[in-house]
Amino acid sequence: MRIVRLIFISVGLVLVWQTIVLLTHAPPYILPGPVNVAKAALTHAGPLFDHAMTTLFEIIAGLLLGTLLGAFSALSMIASFSLKRWLLPVLVISQAIPVFALAPLLVLWFGYGMSSKIAMAVLIIFFPVTAAFYDGLRSTEPEWLELAQVMNAKPLAVIRHIRIPSALPAFASGLRVATAVAPIGAVVGEWVGSSKGLGFYMLHANARMQIDVMFAALVVLGVLALAIYFSVDRAMIKIVYWQKEETE
Amino acid sequence: MKRMVLTLFFTIMALLGGVSTGIHASEKVTVVLDWFVNPDHAPLFVALEKGFFNERGLDVEFQVTSNPNDPPKLVSAKKADIAVSYQPQHYLHVDQGLPVVRIATLIATPLNTLVVLADSDIKSIADLKGKTVGYSIGGFETVILKAMLNTQGLSLDDIKLVNVNFSLSPSLFSGATDAVIGAYRNFELNQMDIEGRPGRAFFVEEHGIPPYDELILIAHHDNVKQPKLRKFIDAMEAGVRFLVNHPEESWKLFVRGRKDLDNKLNRLAWRDTLPCFALRPGALDRARYERFAKFLKTQGLIQRIPPLDSYAIELK
Amino acid sequence: MNNSTKTFAGHGKRPSAPSVILENVSFSYPGEQIFRSLNFTVKSGQWTCLIGPSGCGKSTLLRLISGTLRENFSGKIHFSDGNSHTGRTAWMAQKDLLLPWLSVLDNVCLGSRLRGEMSDQKRRRAISLIEDAGLGEYSDSLPSELSGGMRQRVALLRTLMEERSVILMDEPFSALDALTRLKLQDLAARMVEGATVLMVTHDPLEALRLGHRIYVMTHRPAKLSEVLIPPGSPPRKPGDPAIISLQAKLLDRLVGGANT
Repeated sequence: MRIVRLIFISVGLVLVWQTIVLLTHAPPYILPGPVNVAKAALTHAGPLFDHAMTTLFEIIAGLLLGTLLGAFSALSMIASFSLKRWLLPVLVISQAIPVFALAPLLVLWFGYGMSSKIAMAVLIIFFPVTAAFYDGLRSTEPEWLELAQVMNAKPLAVIRHIRIPSALPAFASGLRVATAVAPIGAVVGEWVGSSKGLGFYMLHANARMQIDVMFAALVVLGVLALAIYFSVDRAMIKIVYWQKEETE
Repeated sequence: MKRMVLTLFFTIMALLGGVSTGIHASEKVTVVLDWFVNPDHAPLFVALEKGFFNERGLDVEFQVTSNPNDPPKLVSAKKADIAVSYQPQHYLHVDQGLPVVRIATLIATPLNTLVVLADSDIKSIADLKGKTVGYSIGGFETVILKAMLNTQGLSLDDIKLVNVNFSLSPSLFSGATDAVIGAYRNFELNQMDIEGRPGRAFFVEEHGIPPYDELILIAHHDNVKQPKLRKFIDAMEAGVRFLVNHPEESWKLFVRGRKDLDNKLNRLAWRDTLPCFALRPGALDRARYERFAKFLKTQGLIQRIPPLDSYAIELK
Repeated sequence: MNNSTKTFAGHGKRPSAPSVILENVSFSYPGEQIFRSLNFTVKSGQWTCLIGPSGCGKSTLLRLISGTLRENFSGKIHFSDGNSHTGRTAWMAQKDLLLPWLSVLDNVCLGSRLRGEMSDQKRRRAISLIEDAGLGEYSDSLPSELSGGMRQRVALLRTLMEERSVILMDEPFSALDALTRLKLQDLAARMVEGATVLMVTHDPLEALRLGHRIYVMTHRPAKLSEVLIPPGSPPRKPGDPAIISLQAKLLDRLVGGANT
């Protein structure tokens, strides 16, 4: 059922796209039509695939590292109040600074390979993941904690068996947000300095005024981002198995 | 008394109205620059400050952009009259169907250079074998490198290419690259001098690339008959003449009202760009343009060579 | 009754349950004196019910005994066997407090898990408790699959698993419908036999069904009434005429206390 709905939405979007091109008489070097973009995608399928794999790796590595870092930071902030006071401003700053400004620095430190793009992705998702998880950990049901206290629970057991599971739904929403923005980090990193990846390929095509190729890379990136999002969504549903999905 | 004041008031308003309609009688020309204002644009700003545009009834507005790919699109979309573009990229744009025509030359020599650190062991193009070369994506750099390497019997496989985007000299300083292409000889070399780490240049036109105009002016081919365009070029030529005859005074005009441009790098670049400006901006060397078109086709960057008049003309 | 070995609904031996002694206990929230020099004993091995209007301090008293409230309190609270009261009670709240990600079995074993004392023996004991309560086929289900009454049943089992001889209950059945409430009261009375229980309730009928001893708490600072000891042993039948007349008496005391 979901697949059918997805197909319908895609076809609908393509039709809207074609309509816009027709109505605005947009020239192909400003807004190419879906047919041209499809042709360009087929012609350049080989390089598109290779570059897509690079960007995919950067996004996934960034997601994994960023999530680990975020989870660890959130747990540290719960465990130690003084640590929280130091980490919280760092957290907020990481969100406030536009990544575009930090990208050249990261490239300088991590080089032109994939590590700078992964670092960018980590930076972009650090705040959503940490903030969401920390919030979840902080708002554990107080009566559960009271029950645990009466039961003489060991402090680590409370964190492991009560606080963390109860914070998982919040963590999952933070992770969903992170999954949606991680691709931005990878692509911006590629724009600043790289030789591979969809961001690089888009710049390359744009410089040669091959706007249809650029759009093809953009579409591939969109599909990639969607695929990653849905995978993470499914995984979260399995991990937070006790939450009922809303019935439609 | 009141009547006299009112009459005076209305007379003044009428006069002012008349004066303003006088100003409206001039024609508006929007020019999109390829980058932020810099010494490469000297003739345009000298002409502006000396009033050469106003003399010919032109009200010129300059727009800047941080994306050099935008100006040709803006002109194609008729959102601007004139754009600053690059001769090599111009062929690509025309090949992709942009309705643009070259109407004047701003800088009549290549500025692109292959740069290495002065103390590097790369003394000739042949020494690039096995080295890392950084570039900014312009669409054209691999072609330049290929042609340069070919003069020494090397190919692109003999070097490692890294896109460093606009951090050309920093990548040389950090050692991330051994050489960079896409550096402008009037800027990068001066920048490196200022940082205390001078560079050494290999000028592309001396190593296998046919000479070309680094900066040109383009317009929409529907508009080439507009008289204001020819007037613009005449004013620009007056600007070049003044620049060549009075370089110091021209510098002062350039930075007037644009104080942030008055820095050491720009002053050095100004001095080095002077010999590169087209003295006859409106003139077109047909054989030179056709030679470059053939070069691009051989390199596989364009599929076909259109007739010259469809993409480059002299305005009457 | 032999005080040293009381059977615990057939699930093992329970050491004899102590009484809970409060001496001169004073407690206040900022601006509110809840207790002033309160003296109160919860009799060993008996089910004591505390009934009173909302907000008079019944839950506060429970929390002082459980040990979760420790500040702003003076006086002495201890058990008759000489040891401290903290960490030696079992707690059952109005909400079932079941962890939604744990199965019924895991929820029943929660205390052992949190103390790091899980063992096969504990697990077997939990299963037999679950079966005794009639929930045998649900031991692997998640709480979301159970009704409110079933969940509170599981909460009761979790409380019993603690094997504490002092059990504190804060209106545990008030959120249930009348029929489920009666069934759970019967189950609790059966399974808790022998422990010292202090239960807070706002339902006089429930107090009369379950309590060996009933106190009415009124006024601010809180005062306890004379103890009321209904005839017969719990769980008493709701239709019992003695219960019905006592219900009127209890209500009188409640209303009287609320009006002064």
